[in-house]
Amino acid sequence: MKKIAVYCTLALGLMAAAGQANTVLIKGGKVHTLAGQGSLDSADVLIVDGKVQQVAASLDVSADQVINAQGKVVTPGVIAPISELGLVEISAASATNDHMVTGDSIGSAFNPVPAYNPKSTLIPFNRAGGVTSAVVFPGISTWDSGAVEAQRVFAGRSFAIKLSGKFDSFEAKDVAQKAYLGEPGSQLAGGSRANAYAKVENALREAQEYRDNRAAIRRGQWRDMDYRLADLEALQSVIKGQEPLMVTADRASDILSVIELGKAFRVKLVILGAAEGWMVADTLAQARVPVVIDAINNVPGSFSSLGARLDNAALLTKAGVKVAISGPGYASTHNVYLSRQSAGNAVANGLPYEEALKSISSNVAEIFSLSGGTLEPGAVADIVVWSGDPLEVTSYPEQVLIDGERQSLTTRSTRLRDRHLKPTKGHDFGYKR
Amino acid sequence: MQLHSRFFGRSIAVLLSTSILLSACGEKRVDSEQRSLDFARLDAFPSTYSLTQSRPVLIQGATLLTGTGEQRESADLLLENGKIKEIGKDLKAPADALVIDGKGKWVTPGIIDVHSHLGDYPAPEIESTQDGNEMTSPNTAEVWSEHSVWTQDPQFPLALAGGVTTLQILPGSANLFGGRSVTLKNVPGRSVQDMKFPGAPYGLKMACGENPKRVYGGKGNAPSTRMGNVAGYRSAWIQASKYKQEWEEYVENGGDEPERDLQMETLAGVLNGDILVHNHCYRGEEMAVMMDIADEFDFQISTFHHAVEAYKVADLLAENNVCAAMWADWWGFKHEAFDMTEANIAIVDQAKACAMIHSDSGVSAQHLNEEVAKAMTAGRRAGFDIQPKDAVVWMSLNPAKALGIADQTGSLEKGKMADVVVWSGNPFSVYTHADQVFIDGELMFDRADKNRQPRSDFELGILEAEGERL
Repeated sequence: MKKIAVYCTLALGLMAAAGQANTVLIKGGKVHTLAGQGSLDSADVLIVDGKVQQVAASLDVSADQVINAQGKVVTPGVIAPISELGLVEISAASATNDHMVTGDSIGSAFNPVPAYNPKSTLIPFNRAGGVTSAVVFPGISTWDSGAVEAQRVFAGRSFAIKLSGKFDSFEAKDVAQKAYLGEPGSQLAGGSRANAYAKVENALREAQEYRDNRAAIRRGQWRDMDYRLADLEALQSVIKGQEPLMVTADRASDILSVIELGKAFRVKLVILGAAEGWMVADTLAQARVPVVIDAINNVPGSFSSLGARLDNAALLTKAGVKVAISGPGYASTHNVYLSRQSAGNAVANGLPYEEALKSISSNVAEIFSLSGGTLEPGAVADIVVWSGDPLEVTSYPEQVLIDGERQSLTTRSTRLRDRHLKPTKGHDFGYKR
Repeated sequence: MQLHSRFFGRSIAVLLSTSILLSACGEKRVDSEQRSLDFARLDAFPSTYSLTQSRPVLIQGATLLTGTGEQRESADLLLENGKIKEIGKDLKAPADALVIDGKGKWVTPGIIDVHSHLGDYPAPEIESTQDGNEMTSPNTAEVWSEHSVWTQDPQFPLALAGGVTTLQILPGSANLFGGRSVTLKNVPGRSVQDMKFPGAPYGLKMACGENPKRVYGGKGNAPSTRMGNVAGYRSAWIQASKYKQEWEEYVENGGDEPERDLQMETLAGVLNGDILVHNHCYRGEEMAVMMDIADEFDFQISTFHHAVEAYKVADLLAENNVCAAMWADWWGFKHEAFDMTEANIAIVDQAKACAMIHSDSGVSAQHLNEEVAKAMTAGRRAGFDIQPKDAVVWMSLNPAKALGIADQTGSLEKGKMADVVVWSGNPFSVYTHADQVFIDGELMFDRADKNRQPRSDFELGILEAEGERL
């Protein structure tokens, strides 16, 4: 995986010139470190140059900025495990969509990075909701004409962002490769999930063949491959076991098929969906396959998710599966921050509280090898100070720090609110008549 | 824009000196109650709903959010014969009453979801069950959503577990006139008639904006623009006014009987006040236009649905007595849903317009209390003083008003239907569950009792031959 350390370079440069560290002290909050120190009822968090330096009951130090967090709750920032942030502005406005391409011209090589727009309105909105990082994946339309046209099951390459809105806010690239199996795979692969499976299997096999015979293949002294060389190139880090393959699967039997595929090719897997994951939780745990789930969706929306239930996260976690919770399916990009409401519902249905916090932060970081997700010495200072319990629907972020920098919580939504707060006749921007 | 006196509930305006009821076969007969012409065909597909409370229920010492702006602490609530019999302190339990210890619990009216497609867009979603949008003409006022309802949709019992006791099933939004809605009690039913809320008025689904023009414009037909949408509405209302007039003249003067027209019957039913308009409409500009159309043709719009920009015209909504049904925070899926603010519901409410939550989703329908909690919080952040006693109205009394059933349900008031939810705590918390749900006084859902958790036919043996779905 090619990580790029881009955050804070400008700020660090300026500080280096001034010859002093930039320090922030968050005082007196209830702190969930999601690390060795666990949860502390009242603690201080010291941040130096964008990193957590210390978490302790009471720190007697001065700092450039002090945030009073008494009565508040302090956690690592929320990390969205799946989103199309910066690739989609308005879903039904095709000109503002860059996350999906139709046709079979590019599969695993599709690289959405050049399309990323850090100035998207979705970024400040979700940041104000407590999200500090997100993984961004391309997709393939599995409805309308997209499903009929597409004959590929690999969506392409991914990246991770910080929600600072800065032009250089990439955090990592090639975080995972995304492919469709199960029911959406069936739709994309001509009508059977078995064919989607075969396509992925063939791609991984050809990727190995390409790895072993690269020179001959590139010289054209080899059989014709089914996949384009660029696609096979993009799968090299996957078959090396460096970059996870994230595969959609909801039905229990589909999940088991994916696990078998992963074992056969020694691929690091992540399962997206896993609505019936609880039925095969032990197998998932044994195979050390993490899942990204829509924890609030208990509707048997398809014949692949008949077993959907609200305690899926609880049952999977109990079995030892690493769980990441996504934004709810109906708002998985514009409102990725609602993963915290889903996590709260998971707690209401049996998931231990700290596990729920991890499922929207540290677990996501671990699954996709990102920084963040914990508050401990050396951890990146992506931190949210909440008005109350972060999983509660009546709480909200009061401070959001990314790399130790306090972020604006103004959004297009708050601007519209403030303009139209008291609509009256003669209101400048109201609708006079 | 003038105020319309008739709004909530069925109009009883007498149109003719000698009022006549249109019978199914078109013959004339004098109606003793002097009703207006029955374009709505209120007696077709009559409700066979017959839930009867098996025993009285006394909920003791709970926190009550009445839905009328009150929070009452340590109060008792007595349900008898399907009705709310009494609210007070130290009420005596009748013999054989089910007594519920309400200590630490909160009680609200049953949640009313004013925007649902359950049964019409059931789960699982497959090609053969997409029965919510008659996408064959921009005006399909002749279709009735109840005729698509699959009563075995497993989403009904899920919504019940979330406290939903009443729902309006609407046709989709592909058409200018999508057809009639139906209001259901959330009870298991072998037929949709078994679920029909007795006496609830019908609704007419209309749609503004992007959907109709995309669906028909995309096929090279009208409408292909928003102005085309408006021309479509007005043409239809001209036709309906004429239809209504022809029947009225026939009833008054006799002569050749006009031909029945299902589409026109629904529209004429709106014009005489029997059918309530439920209008999918996102943008402020379009809501203002729709209210003028209502003025032009002398009908009333009950509610704008998905009203993402209601906050921009909240004063106009109040002035015109039009409700707005909104989400807490959905946005951005369409251009007309781009100007979202989470304070939408609160701003509309504070402008003294009738504001409410709605789901449009089988998932969100199960958590409308959480959606209201988010909207309440956004309202407080906007500087308004909004308490649970106020916010509860957004999921109870106001949707009841929108549906024309506020005289029967939607609040904890003596004599109203005993549609009641007992919550494990403050309903505006993510951790709170609906513990018991009563419909007309009968315990329809009990979180602690598997035998009081309805399962649809679909769920039997579907995941395990010997079990239910879960």
